[in-house]
Amino acid sequence: MRLVHNITASLALLLIMPGIAFANKPTDGGYWLQDAATPVMEELTKLHNFVFWIILGITLFVMVMMGWIMFRFSAKRNPTASKTTHHVGLEVAWTIVPIIILLVMVVPSMRLLYFQDALPETEMTIKVTGNTWNWEYAYPDHPNVESFISNPLEKEDAGDLYLLKTDASLVVPVDTKIKVLITSSNNLHSFAVPAFGIKMDAVPGRINETWFEVNPGKEGTYFGQCSELCGVNHYKMPIEIEVVSKEDFQSWVANDGAFTTAVVSYDNGSIVLQD
Amino acid sequence: MAGHAVEHDYHLIPPSPWPFLSGCAALVWGLGMVTFFAGLVDRTGSSPMAEWFFANGLDTLKSSLTGDGSLSGGWIILLVGCLFAAYVMYGWWKDVAAESAAGDHTPVVDIGLRYGMIMFIMQEAMFFVGWFWMFFELGLFHKVRATWNPDILENAAGYADSMAPGVTSVDAWHLPLMNTLILLLSGTTVTWAHHALMHNDRKGAKWGLFLTIALGIIFTWLQLIEYAELFHLRESGHEAWIGNNAYGSAFFMATGFHGFHVLIGTIFLFVCWVRLLKGGFKPEKHFGFEAAAWYWHFVDVVWLFLFAFVYIIFAMNGVAH
Amino acid sequence: MAGIGYDDHDDGKPGFFARWFYSTNHKDIGTLYLIFGIISGIIGGYLSFMMRMELSEPGIQIFENGHAYNVFASMHGLIMIFFMVMPAVIGGFGNWFVPIMIGAPDMAFPRMNNLSFWLLPVALICLLISFFVPGSASGNGFGGGWVMYPPLSTSGAPGPAFDFIIIGLLAAGFSSIFGAINFITTILNMRAPGMTMHKMPLFAWSVLVTAFLLLLALPVLAASLFMLFTDRIDGGTGFFDPAMGGDPEMFQHLFWFFGHPEVYIMILPAFGMVSHVVSTFSKKPIFGYLGMAYAMVAIGVVGFVVWAHHMYTVGMDVDLKAYFLAATLVIAVPTGVKIFSWLATMWGGSISFSIPMQWALAFIFLFVLGGVTGVMLANAGVDVALHDTYYVVAHFHYVLSMGAVFGIFCGFYYWFGKMSGYLYNKWLAAAHFWLFFIGVNVIFFPQHFLGLNGMPRRYVDYPQEFELWNQVSSFGAYITLAGVGFFLLMLVEAFIRKRPAGANYWGDGATTLEWTLSSPPPYHQFNTLPRIEQNDEH
Ligand code: HEM
Ligand SMILES: [Cu+2]
Ligand SMILES: [Cu+2]
Repeated sequence: MRLVHNITASLALLLIMPGIAFANKPTDGGYWLQDAATPVMEELTKLHNFVFWIILGITLFVMVMMGWIMFRFSAKRNPTASKTTHHVGLEVAWTIVPIIILLVMVVPSMRLLYFQDALPETEMTIKVTGNTWNWEYAYPDHPNVESFISNPLEKEDAGDLYLLKTDASLVVPVDTKIKVLITSSNNLHSFAVPAFGIKMDAVPGRINETWFEVNPGKEGTYFGQCSELCGVNHYKMPIEIEVVSKEDFQSWVANDGAFTTAVVSYDNGSIVLQD
Repeated sequence: MAGHAVEHDYHLIPPSPWPFLSGCAALVWGLGMVTFFAGLVDRTGSSPMAEWFFANGLDTLKSSLTGDGSLSGGWIILLVGCLFAAYVMYGWWKDVAAESAAGDHTPVVDIGLRYGMIMFIMQEAMFFVGWFWMFFELGLFHKVRATWNPDILENAAGYADSMAPGVTSVDAWHLPLMNTLILLLSGTTVTWAHHALMHNDRKGAKWGLFLTIALGIIFTWLQLIEYAELFHLRESGHEAWIGNNAYGSAFFMATGFHGFHVLIGTIFLFVCWVRLLKGGFKPEKHFGFEAAAWYWHFVDVVWLFLFAFVYIIFAMNGVAH
Repeated sequence: MAGIGYDDHDDGKPGFFARWFYSTNHKDIGTLYLIFGIISGIIGGYLSFMMRMELSEPGIQIFENGHAYNVFASMHGLIMIFFMVMPAVIGGFGNWFVPIMIGAPDMAFPRMNNLSFWLLPVALICLLISFFVPGSASGNGFGGGWVMYPPLSTSGAPGPAFDFIIIGLLAAGFSSIFGAINFITTILNMRAPGMTMHKMPLFAWSVLVTAFLLLLALPVLAASLFMLFTDRIDGGTGFFDPAMGGDPEMFQHLFWFFGHPEVYIMILPAFGMVSHVVSTFSKKPIFGYLGMAYAMVAIGVVGFVVWAHHMYTVGMDVDLKAYFLAATLVIAVPTGVKIFSWLATMWGGSISFSIPMQWALAFIFLFVLGGVTGVMLANAGVDVALHDTYYVVAHFHYVLSMGAVFGIFCGFYYWFGKMSGYLYNKWLAAAHFWLFFIGVNVIFFPQHFLGLNGMPRRYVDYPQEFELWNQVSSFGAYITLAGVGFFLLMLVEAFIRKRPAGANYWGDGATTLEWTLSSPPPYHQFNTLPRIEQNDEH
């Protein structure tokens, strides 16, 4: 049975997983955050892991307590129940201790929030528009690069990358602080790239902003998916980002955005190629 | 232990058809609402009968308002639903009044009714919180929103227009001021009626209540005049009409729902008046009347908020030309 | 105490039609609610099962397109929340046991009580109609999610399908508002002599807090539904239409101002029931009774000021996010008080692991799991990675499918004998419990992994990397289905065998007033009001 096979395979994977590098997209049977490509995602991962240990501790504590209580105070072992119903010290303790834990948590949490949200001096801007159902990318800083539409590839063309791969990726330079302006032409969408630690809703009539900066040495193709319900093809408007070296980006811009060979538009459900 | 003798003062009610019939009425009404406002079938002319029942009724209304009158139907289910609901309410409240007269409303039941009415008014207040929230958001933050990169925003112009500048809002110091005074006055007349009733001055009570109802009707009348004026101004696009911009939407829905509540309150008072004329209510026991009065005061307070914020403050903001 | 005599000859029961359609009896109405909840649960369960089957492997297998899937997902959410959980916990158990527990003969407004019930089938009919009428260009039904965000619910869903949903939800909303008025009045005004607020059973407390949440939250939903309704009309309003100066995000604020209290509306009554069960089967009074009661009040109050933690990615001001982050974390404190008080109630007790207790223990454990992932999500920074992914789906199913639903089954098995007069078969009940327990965990635990790894919610098809955990999850759906099968079997068996239940079949631990009555209780209980002794039990 396929399921059984998959489970055994992934159990094996589970053991070696922490050792192998994550890709820039979801991993087969993956069970953790995607590998970080930006400082924000690095911080986000750190905070997630920190909070994870806390909540794991709480869960284990409750579990162990419950197990012990169920064992020790079962009717068999403890035929007569005590009648204690108050213990001020205890009640104060279980109010104060969680507060302390939360205070410990809230400090790094706020730090991450402000790091993520406060736009630094950015070096470049891109504009993203969510349409039903594809993404449109524009480079306001580079007027010679025409805005273009990025459509999902069908299964035949995308192969293993179906629902991630597009016909035209957003091209950005590495090691550059990039401001992303996000809006929508009709329904809500959400521009999300897990490896970058960004997710921002595309809202008609409103321009949201976020930013990212891909760490040096992290050139490659990254994938994301629309993350706000937008209708029939919500599942089918992936985000593909190609992170290239600064030099390659310069020449790409000089070429008027030239490794997008064919511009494709999505018309009535079928793909139209235009050269 | 005690057999069947009931030794408490609560009011156990025998089975009653009204709740079930209310459900039926709600179903018809709901179907009517969807039909009237959205329409279940298109007007293609292929099956006139079905279209008369199930086509969009709002279009009918519009076509008769603009005087062309080419469309018909679409309103019958809603009308039946409303009448059905009115019939059920009539039957239900008649039962309640009869029970009250029969002495079923013991002191503890009376307190329960008071709790119930207070809770009902609380939920009405929260309903208006929703509308005011919308209004404050539009009034306070639209300029902030409009400054968000309007150069890249295709519909930035429409956005910036949300209400100011360009929206001429209703002048607070004409009809609205008049209406404020009317409602405040009606608050005093209903209190007069209440005091008169408590002192067994039934004639005074009748007059006080009558005046309150009359003022309520005048209020509604003036409100309709105001709407009619706005209707005639709506073409200019910037005027505060319901479908022109979000300001108009918030204005009409908030004042409209308030007006609807005034109507309910007026009917409520009217029912009390009829009961009073028929010899109902006693100086020491007249909760039906008090509930109507509470409701009326609530409606009054909502109006004061509307007047202060929707008419005066936002109008000051909005009367830019 | 011996059961109060239950005289068959003259208990004042009306004939069948009058009894069930014109009912003014809180127990009969409670029964109607429970039956209604079970029916809705089956419909909602069918919808979710189809979704799980669709997702069991990549590709689109079952549904015609994404819209059809979205319709199922949206209706699943709405039906489970408004027509399964709420009717069961508030309408069903609340109606049955709040009056009895506080020593009242019935609800304050018995007729309005029945109106609350009958509005629900009306509402459900409206929702079911919406399946079959045009929704959007892609097909029938409404596929905008249970949260109904515009513009997908305005310009994105032009057909009448969504209008039916609005009408249905308004009806359900009014049903709940009338119910809330009824419960508040009953609890404040009809407690038996000596039953002070601070002696009132925790279930009554939980329903009281819930009723206030309903009373204050639902009208705001009603207002926002009206806004959607008029926005949808051609030439109508433009609240959420940017071209008219409106703002689609305003709807989200209004919705979640209702929506967050709503999630507590679903869980608080379960808290109440679990408290009674834990105390009964530990043979100990509740530990820290006052703390328990006021923790619920605190949760209710704070629940009104945390709504925008559902909106961390809409582009809110960062200081606002910081506020909502902090406020949301605060809720974890009273929640913790509840968990620890349950543990302390069991501590030193003499615990018997009967069926309701198994559900209660599972509830506590799984609710903790759902609660801690809530704490993770409360961190706005981390939520950016997790919002609208399966992590959120896992979170809220741990608190709902395993929190609220386990609470419901806990109460059901606790009171089944009391309500029906019959005992259930323990083996069938145990099979139900274990299959359900294992099943829902297999469904929802892997969804944490999917979410962390980035799988967005509301997807009919997904990249192949997500296959494994989706497969596991879908496999869990079969187990759960088998569990539900045993539940229905258990019901049928109990009503065929008719093993009579005594007045207090749980023994010493069960101390609330319902256990002083026969099973089932007389048609009208407490013709003579019970008197609560003055010695302080808590
Ligand atoms: C410790 C307490 C809790 C905290 C801190 C918490 C926090 C959160 C947060 C931050 C979200 C938003 C996640 C997102 O969309 O990105 C969320 C979603 C949700 N929570 Fe909780 N939660 C808690 C308890 C509960 C309980 C008790 C329930 C219900 C019984 C509940 C039901 C839900 C639901 C239904 C959603 C998702 C709504 C949707 O987007 O469709 N939560 N929770
Ligand atoms: Cu989408
Ligand atoms: Cu919430």
